[in-house]
Amino acid sequence: MQADTIITPSTLCVKDLPWQIAWDKDKCTLCGRCAAACPMLALELAVYRKRVIQPPMGLEKAPENNFESFYGVRQKTNPDNACVGCGMCNLVCPNDAIIPMHSDEADKLRFHNNKGGIPRRRGGRRNDPEGVLDRIKFTRISMLTDPALDAGRHDFQLSTLLGRVLPPEENLKLQREQGWIPPVREIYPLIIGGMSFGALSPTMWEGLQMGVTYLNEEVGMPVVISTGEGGCPPRLLRSRFLKYVILQIASGYFGWDEIIHALPEMKVDPCAVEIKYGQGAKPGDGGLLMWHKVNKLIAAIRGVPQGVSLPSPPTHQTKYSIEEAVAKMIQSMSMAWGFRVPVYPKISATSTSGAVLNNLARNSIAAGLAIDGEDGGTGAAYNVSMDHMGHPIASNIRDCYLNLVKIGKQNELPLFAGGGVGKRGNLAANAAALIMLGASGVQTGKYVMQAAAGCLGSETDRCNICNIGRCPKGITSQDPRLYRRLDPEQVAQRLVDMYLAFDTELKKIVAPLGRSTSLPIGMSDALGINDYNIAQRLSIDYVV
Amino acid sequence: MKNVYKLSGIDKGHRIESRVLEEQIQHAVASGERNLEIDAAGQHGLGGRLWSAGDEPVNITITGSPGQRLGSMGFPNTRITVKGPASDDTGWLNAGAEIAVLGHATNGTANAMAQGKVFIGGNIGSRGMTMTKANPRFAPPELWVLGSVGDYFAEFMAGGVAVVCGYDPQNPDNVLGYRPCVGMVRGQVFVRGPFKGFSQADASLVPIDEETQEWLFTNLKNFLEKIEKPELYDELARIEDWQLILAKTPMQKSATPRMSMQDFAKNVWESELGAGGLVGDLVKVERETIPVVATGEFRRFVPVWEDQVYASPCQSSCPSGIPVQQRWAMIREGRVDEAVDMALNFTPFPATVCGYLCPNLCMQACTRNLSGMAPIDVKVLGKASINAGLPELPPLSGKKVAVIGGGVAGISVAWQLRMAGHEAVIYDMEKKLGGKMSSVIPNTRIPKEVIDKELERMAEALPHVQLEKKLDQAGVAKLQEEHEFVVVAAGAGKPKMPPLPGIENAATALDFLGKAKAGDVKPGKSVVIIGAGNVGCDVATEAHRLGATEITLIDVQKPASFGEERKAAEEAGATFLWPVFTKEITDKGVALTNGDFLDADTVVVAIGDAPDTAFLPETVKTVRGFVEVDENFQTTDSKFFAIGDIVMPGLLTDAIGAGRRAAMAITAIMEGKRPEALEKPQIDKTRVSMAYFNPRVREFEKVDACAMDCSSCGTCRDCGICEAICPQAAISRVEEPGKRFEMVVDPEKCIGCGFCAGACPCGIWTLVENDPMG
Repeated sequence: MQADTIITPSTLCVKDLPWQIAWDKDKCTLCGRCAAACPMLALELAVYRKRVIQPPMGLEKAPENNFESFYGVRQKTNPDNACVGCGMCNLVCPNDAIIPMHSDEADKLRFHNNKGGIPRRRGGRRNDPEGVLDRIKFTRISMLTDPALDAGRHDFQLSTLLGRVLPPEENLKLQREQGWIPPVREIYPLIIGGMSFGALSPTMWEGLQMGVTYLNEEVGMPVVISTGEGGCPPRLLRSRFLKYVILQIASGYFGWDEIIHALPEMKVDPCAVEIKYGQGAKPGDGGLLMWHKVNKLIAAIRGVPQGVSLPSPPTHQTKYSIEEAVAKMIQSMSMAWGFRVPVYPKISATSTSGAVLNNLARNSIAAGLAIDGEDGGTGAAYNVSMDHMGHPIASNIRDCYLNLVKIGKQNELPLFAGGGVGKRGNLAANAAALIMLGASGVQTGKYVMQAAAGCLGSETDRCNICNIGRCPKGITSQDPRLYRRLDPEQVAQRLVDMYLAFDTELKKIVAPLGRSTSLPIGMSDALGINDYNIAQRLSIDYVV
Repeated sequence: MKNVYKLSGIDKGHRIESRVLEEQIQHAVASGERNLEIDAAGQHGLGGRLWSAGDEPVNITITGSPGQRLGSMGFPNTRITVKGPASDDTGWLNAGAEIAVLGHATNGTANAMAQGKVFIGGNIGSRGMTMTKANPRFAPPELWVLGSVGDYFAEFMAGGVAVVCGYDPQNPDNVLGYRPCVGMVRGQVFVRGPFKGFSQADASLVPIDEETQEWLFTNLKNFLEKIEKPELYDELARIEDWQLILAKTPMQKSATPRMSMQDFAKNVWESELGAGGLVGDLVKVERETIPVVATGEFRRFVPVWEDQVYASPCQSSCPSGIPVQQRWAMIREGRVDEAVDMALNFTPFPATVCGYLCPNLCMQACTRNLSGMAPIDVKVLGKASINAGLPELPPLSGKKVAVIGGGVAGISVAWQLRMAGHEAVIYDMEKKLGGKMSSVIPNTRIPKEVIDKELERMAEALPHVQLEKKLDQAGVAKLQEEHEFVVVAAGAGKPKMPPLPGIENAATALDFLGKAKAGDVKPGKSVVIIGAGNVGCDVATEAHRLGATEITLIDVQKPASFGEERKAAEEAGATFLWPVFTKEITDKGVALTNGDFLDADTVVVAIGDAPDTAFLPETVKTVRGFVEVDENFQTTDSKFFAIGDIVMPGLLTDAIGAGRRAAMAITAIMEGKRPEALEKPQIDKTRVSMAYFNPRVREFEKVDACAMDCSSCGTCRDCGICEAICPQAAISRVEEPGKRFEMVVDPEKCIGCGFCAGACPCGIWTLVENDPMG
């Protein structure tokens, strides 16, 4: 940025940007690696002019006035090339000469990244590091009142049920009469939430699937993963690994004809079918895969031509009421696999969740309800949807659970909570809190991206460029130059590590409750919080 | 047995408290009793803590039913034999006692035992041998069980030896119970008989060597004697029936027992899905990872040397299209004469216009202005161009073009046509060529000899000129018939005169300036000029030169004058008055509508000139008095071109450029081609770096200094900086004979950092996205 240039209303200086590059002239060797690595092309070599005035001692002669040029690394200040703080420059710098620093005040860029009248769009998550889940404490520590267990050494069976669980008398009656009993899966309570093939890179997607398969077949943890809305590779559909997969159907119906064509050739049934009605990160906003991301591979898997933009509408088009949506979709999807596969809807958390839940409770085959809170992540959305739309998950899941308790169906219709689970790194604590508030299990996406692939995103707006296909870690890009930075086997290994660590942490939380073979679903007497109003709202202990 | 001291847990039909029986036992031992027989009734902790006997052995035989924690905190001097079964936690925290139970024992047997031995002649309940220790100061503890053990056996076992003989077990299918050895960190478990696993994470099966076998069978004999079943020895002492479970070391525990992900990917993943994994059937899958900083086809961005792709701002802003910067390059290379001569390819008046009369749009556009630096002074080069030599003219093609008007525009088009080998004949009404430039512009702004010299040079190239020819429509029609094309460059020679009372008392600016230049006008002391534009300023300057002292320029709006003309008028002491409106002009001066009266010896009207188009055919359309043309200056009649002030009032350089453009179009059409597209786009000035130049240079006196400080926007100046700055040494200079040199990038070395683009002083290098992959 040259100070003497002509300015426009959107002319910004480094100080106006959210991220500022600190560059150390002494350490820099001008190797060019930072500029080559920057996903935003935010760095450039700059030519600087240095003026040296040398007044002679005694002032006998006129002072000398000398100029010299030197080179340095400079950050660009135009909005398109503004630094996103990812830190790749720092990662590749051999001399630690460069690092992005977060501005000490609110940036001015936010007022200008709406060129052409298009508001800011980005990937990532809500820019709010706070959340109620992290504040919940597990206050019931049973030393003498319950058989306390050792999380490190005792065996635990921390699985949960996905599917409609009939009351015992009804179940026995149906068994006697050889009637139809809704399918139920015993799964690990931490589910990998829907991230589509397309939103994620092929290497990331494969790494996650491989890790999930390893967890099932080598570790014995029944972990399942949702495909997200982008279809499912034909090979996976025809493999035994399909049983670890929840197939998602959403308003764009991408890839579903390929799934239908695979039906006669499937070796196993999928774990479940998830009908996506909404996403916590961007309620009321549909997905959009830009045309430049729709390469040959994505096109084949989604069953679309190459190079066209793929918008998903915010709603399913042929459903005009909750009743119809629930009945029609669950019926159709169940029918596809002969009523052997659990089918459940996923909605974004909303003040109207109760209405959906009541409908599901009346429906005899609905397998559960997944609710995605406002802290969920996404590959691409309008900033306004991400930051300001949606409902926190804690009170929403709590209300739904207590509703089920009221009608006596809390053990019949499982609830799954998502959206910001582990957003500050406390995955097990957040998951346990949600389970004790009433969730049968939780869904997580962002944490997986961070733990298994090194995603750099944060609630303080670091990176968050998933939407433009330039993910510096190759997680959300369809460009081989980027996604081949990621090795699927290493992603799989990290996923396994993540799950094993989560498992131990979850045990550390549930062991003092004396639980080793059943999850403490709805065991809210174990929870406390040091905020009276939250405690009242969630019907948990107020502790100080 | 001698001196047996008997105690009973029942006193007068009532069970006595554990505390009381304990007092009795301690008292007896303290009193020297060494052989006790206790008929127990469920009392707690019998036989423990008997240190008062010192090293002397104390034997305790228990009949009846001992309570929980039999022999707890037992001392090495103590030997306990229970004739029947025992309750929970037998040998709890045993610190050395030997406890034999002839019957079964229940849960927690030997829990937390640290030394001593516990022998059980039957089965035990759950959580036996848990949390045991092995203190290096003492021999490790031992638990011997004849039958089977219950669930969670050896949980958190931290030392000692357990031997489970599996004889007549409670559960014949599993003599070790559910989930044994969880959390076991030290010790051995010998087992005989079937069992259903143990914690693989904590322990492993190991072979029994000879020494261990000898220890086992020697102690087995002892155990069987203690539980009074020596007859079982032969049946139990068969080594093939025994297995040994050993706690894993921390090192062994940290080693992963699972398949590596690499093997999993190959043996499980790809074997089920096929080669290439998940999408191997859809695309070619390459597994090698790509580094963040990559070369060759894996670079995200690649540098491009865009030499001469864009026009420099000076060239693209020059209406005459002179490649100013190319001339500086020639000077840098020492080809000064060539640089001077080159201008004639673009203009017949490089000295007159560039050096004196032009406001030099090239300098206004100079990239240096952006950094607040003084633009390269083209006037220096313009003035030097007075010596430019006429190039050798091509032979005439035989094609003829008529040019109506011998002003700057007309001369320019004729000049360019002649350069292209065509004959152009200029028709002018005046006695002399040069139009306003030679007849009207004051000599103060341009030395007469400069114009004369350039007109002479022009005359050399254009010898055939028809002067004092006034054409009418018929004359023009004739011209059209005799020529391929007619170019109308008749200018705007019809002064605009406002319909004011007494307008006849005023002179026109053109008239005044012409006469002033010729020296046949005396304006008097006071002059009022109506219209304060640049022509009005010229009038003021000339009036001053001719002796006027009170000069007033009036205008109805803020005067539009600028530059040299305005400056000269101000220096002449002229007063600018606006907004004022003329009411009347008299022989005394000008009356304004506001009631003021400006005395004037001479009143000159300078509110602009309009073209006279009456002589043109109807087919040549006009708009608001001016001839309508396209971008090639062709009129609505394809035979007619029109340039200069007859099209739109403009600068001299505009007229020169129009002439050149029209000549190019005419030449192209005559050669059966389409007129070429307009010039290259102008380079983005921000690509050029000014930091290489001294900002304190505020003026240039010589062409050399100009040439050195020109940053050569858009054209490589061959400075070698890119070669030097490239961190990968990927850039090299390649020159083939007869061709301009090139800077070339080796893709196998380049990482796409764009440092070349950042360092380039001329803005040649740019970084573009690499071709899409996949």
